[in-house]
Amino acid sequence: MKKYKFSTVRIFQTLALVLAIAGLSSCEDVIDLNTETGPTQLVVDGWITNQPGTQTITLTWSSAYFDKNPIKPVLGAKVTVTDNLGKVYEFTDKDGTGNYTWGKLNTDTLGHVGGKYSLRIEHEQEVYTSKNEIKRVPKIDSLVYTNETLPFTPDDGQKTGYIAEFYARDFAGTGDTYWIKEVLNGKTNVDKAEKISIAWDAAFGAGAPSDGLIFIQPLRRSITYDSLYQAGSHVGVELHSITNEAFYFLQQIVEQSSNGGLFATPIANIKSNVINADPNGRKALGYFGASAVSRMETVIDPKKARPED
Amino acid sequence: MLSLPSIIYQNFSMKNKVHKKWIVLLLFVMSLPAAAQNKHTVSGYVKDLANGEGLIGVSVYVKEVETGVVTNPYGFYSLTLPNGTYNVVFSYIGYQKISKTVDLNTDQRVDIEMSDESENLKEVTISTKKEDDNVRSIEMSVNKVEMKTIKKMPALLGEVDLIRSIQLLPGVTTVGEGASGFNVRGGDISQNLVLLDEAPVYNSSHLFGFFSVFNPDVVKDVKLIKGGIPAQYGGRISSILDVRMKEGNAKKREINGGIGSIFSRLTYEQPFAAGKGSFIVAGRRSYIDILAKPFLNKDLKDSKFNFYDLTAKVNYRLGNKDTFFASGYFGKDVFGGGDFGFGWGNATATARWNHIFSNKLFMNLTGYYSNYDYNLGQNENDEQAKDRFVWKSKIISKSVKPDFTYYITPNNQLTFGGQYINYDSRPGKATAVSEGEGLNLDLPSRHADESALYIANEQKLTDRISLQYGIRYSYYRSLGPGTEYLYGDTTAGIRKQPIFPGTEYGKGDVIKTYGNWEPRFAVNVGITSTASLKLSYNRMSQYLHLLSNTAASSPLDVWTLSSSNIKPELADQVAAGWFQNFKDNMFEASVEVYYKKLHNQIDYVTGSDLLLNQFVEGDLLTGKGRAYGAEFYLKKNKGRLTGWISYTLSKTERQVMSINNDNWFPARFDKPHNFTSVAIYELNKRLTLSSNFTITSGTPATFPTNGYSWGGISLGNNYNNVRNNNRIPAYHRLDLAATLKARKKLFGIGEGEWVFSIYNVYNRRNAFSVYTRQNDDKPTVSDRTQNMLRTEAVRYSVIGSLIPSVTYNFKF
Repeated sequence: MKKYKFSTVRIFQTLALVLAIAGLSSCEDVIDLNTETGPTQLVVDGWITNQPGTQTITLTWSSAYFDKNPIKPVLGAKVTVTDNLGKVYEFTDKDGTGNYTWGKLNTDTLGHVGGKYSLRIEHEQEVYTSKNEIKRVPKIDSLVYTNETLPFTPDDGQKTGYIAEFYARDFAGTGDTYWIKEVLNGKTNVDKAEKISIAWDAAFGAGAPSDGLIFIQPLRRSITYDSLYQAGSHVGVELHSITNEAFYFLQQIVEQSSNGGLFATPIANIKSNVINADPNGRKALGYFGASAVSRMETVIDPKKARPED
Repeated sequence: MLSLPSIIYQNFSMKNKVHKKWIVLLLFVMSLPAAAQNKHTVSGYVKDLANGEGLIGVSVYVKEVETGVVTNPYGFYSLTLPNGTYNVVFSYIGYQKISKTVDLNTDQRVDIEMSDESENLKEVTISTKKEDDNVRSIEMSVNKVEMKTIKKMPALLGEVDLIRSIQLLPGVTTVGEGASGFNVRGGDISQNLVLLDEAPVYNSSHLFGFFSVFNPDVVKDVKLIKGGIPAQYGGRISSILDVRMKEGNAKKREINGGIGSIFSRLTYEQPFAAGKGSFIVAGRRSYIDILAKPFLNKDLKDSKFNFYDLTAKVNYRLGNKDTFFASGYFGKDVFGGGDFGFGWGNATATARWNHIFSNKLFMNLTGYYSNYDYNLGQNENDEQAKDRFVWKSKIISKSVKPDFTYYITPNNQLTFGGQYINYDSRPGKATAVSEGEGLNLDLPSRHADESALYIANEQKLTDRISLQYGIRYSYYRSLGPGTEYLYGDTTAGIRKQPIFPGTEYGKGDVIKTYGNWEPRFAVNVGITSTASLKLSYNRMSQYLHLLSNTAASSPLDVWTLSSSNIKPELADQVAAGWFQNFKDNMFEASVEVYYKKLHNQIDYVTGSDLLLNQFVEGDLLTGKGRAYGAEFYLKKNKGRLTGWISYTLSKTERQVMSINNDNWFPARFDKPHNFTSVAIYELNKRLTLSSNFTITSGTPATFPTNGYSWGGISLGNNYNNVRNNNRIPAYHRLDLAATLKARKKLFGIGEGEWVFSIYNVYNRRNAFSVYTRQNDDKPTVSDRTQNMLRTEAVRYSVIGSLIPSVTYNFKF
């Protein structure tokens, strides 16, 4: 609710309000649309971290856009990640579900800050590769929550509650990029594109002057997205360091997914960092990412909440 | 004297020492009035009897020699004829004809006042062979809509709107309701030169794009030039929208106003100095915020949403050779809620001096200032706030522009002049404060200037054939201070990186120059007395570019100047048309075809970052465009039923390396079929009914061919990586309105009228866009376990219902 975005999204919301009051109401209707269908493509969904525990790379096939069948896994692929020291990590699909994993024990750690990682996927005659690296991540200084009363009662939430907010400081030096994830009951909670919260230094984009600052307020509060938290909520934040390339990848996801309204941008394919070794072969979709992670969690205690602004 | 054009052309063909030649030529031309001896000149101003406003485009016709001229934008005309006695006929649509007998043995000054047809006056009206200006004049691809007509047409929420009316003309499209601006013959919205009293207006919209900045009570004349653009105009490549403000009633005090659903309007005009001068002041303000206030609670209470504009003009006549005008516009849109704020606005100021050097040489000297700015932020005005964000951007242009008209003979009318424009662009200035710590970012300002010289002649070759030929030379300089960066040319379609270090330039240093010759040509061949064939060609150049990659242009879009990395946009257009009038000029009809080529068109890399980006030039792509079409137009000028129908068949495409696999693709605003009809029916003296009907092809769209899931999010992908290969459903809409004059005098003296209108009568949800997205309905348990794509297609309609409205207008 308190998520401010200095972008066309925000402007559009203001516009909708103004128009509604003027008696002009825009509307969105779900319609049937016939689209052509292209050949299927490999989809890579993998993000390795410096956290101990199992690392997963999921391989699936793309389908028709309106396909109502379960997503098809890619089976029988050979998946490896090689780090800059030459160590090879083999990912295997033990359950035959397309989820290729490495590491069982909580002491198994794959990623390290400063490490460079190469992904290689062999499937039938095709070879796909990708590269990424793990950048530095600042620690989270604190996690606080503030009493809040909304001006109206939302459909799926309560009128009063708490806004959670984390404090951390961007490193000095321009061009650090981050992915901020809301943690709910111990799990990251990103199930739609609008929830993707990314930072360039301490603000939204490369253009804003924010190097070395504490993350700006809209980013600090971006972990409170849909509705207010209640007493006893188990909330938290994960701060992931990402490469600039990953920033743009995620930005494109957000753009493609919020493409309604007057100020929509032309729909374009999201550029993958997974490359088919055969330049004439089918292109791959998805992204192979790598992050260092800072994390903090808390349980909301009304006694410790900050008073309302 | 007929050899003059050939002299001019010889000069044009030599491209060296351009400036010097021009000056010599201009001096030569100005020394000409001494030449003709056995001829004399009749000249003067034509004004409206009711309010003293100069009338633009009045036909001044001499029966005896079957020749004539039209009044210029200030109402001035001049005719030089052999000595003799002549019947001079002044005619203008909607006004009573006036015939004057002129004994031309000396130069004569004949100022005329014409009266509205509806008013009954003693002036003798005579019926002669009717004038049919659209057939006879050299102008083609020009649409004039009388303000009287615009005011009677149905309007969205009853707000009379110039830009929305323009969108109903042949060859003009829009990407959709609520979108700012208009598209002319395949040009984007930034390629229209929108002039308000000769000052360019950078953003012609209020409330994003729903209303335009022109207060209808102040506008005197509107002219849209789509092709055959005369040499006096330059700086944009697709069209000229020339809006002239009223001068203010020179006869008596007048108050006009209205209360509508969006704006309240008030206009005051008055003569002074015994009618030698007059002024007009007009204001409008939206008041939905005031009406809504009681219904908003707590957090929304301090929401701000209003827009307003102020327009003023004053003129003063000194002797009978000089007239001075000063006019200005100031408008602002303000939106915000809580600590968030957003606003934009234009300001223009124009000063003009009309001078009659001799009865054959007329000069207008214009100086203007135009500014567009916007601001956006959180806690913008609270400098103590712990968390704050402020962002501002603006562009300022200042210009001097002398224009001369030399009425050599009725068969040769020479226009010449020049323009100097200085640009100052400040693309972005931002401040971010987080937890009390702040940082500033100031994108370097850009400076440039643009100079132009032009000369053109309108020549009647024979009774049947007239020509207009001219040339404009424009010269652009990108100026210091600043650092110029060039960009590494990598793969097409990928963001280009600046090469460091850049080159430093001091104040006034020239960084880069561009010069362009812009020939203009038009010919009119009279086929019969009521039909003619016209042809035209024009080349235009544009040094200022609007960076906009959204469907509708947003107020945040930044105007950027040409540089080493951004070449000037150029367009070549040829047009041909058949013009014919029927039934004593009751109907005018035309068919025009055009072909336009656009060069150095700007497009954007995927994921481009156009705002607050110092290296935005690295995100730009260059391509070309082509547009062609046929426009059919039938207009009924007289009788109780007036209006027009128009149909345009056209194609507009762009080609940009890396987009659509390097193939041509339809532009965002391409609409192959475009039909409109406007009908106004005067039922009786009190009641007028009107309707608009529009049906157009849907705009192009790109849909995914495949879906995939990444990170739990459903996404789309187009396997062939194409752009705009589909279309959204056709757009159609009917609007109705009724204007009822009040029976009773308002307070015993004034007039009042009610305007009732319904927009989108049959309540159609026209698509602005159709797009696909993730379906965010709560997934069912089976959805979750089955791991399916969650996708849906959505039709977005800007206006989802019919919109009735009532407006009350008054006049004292």
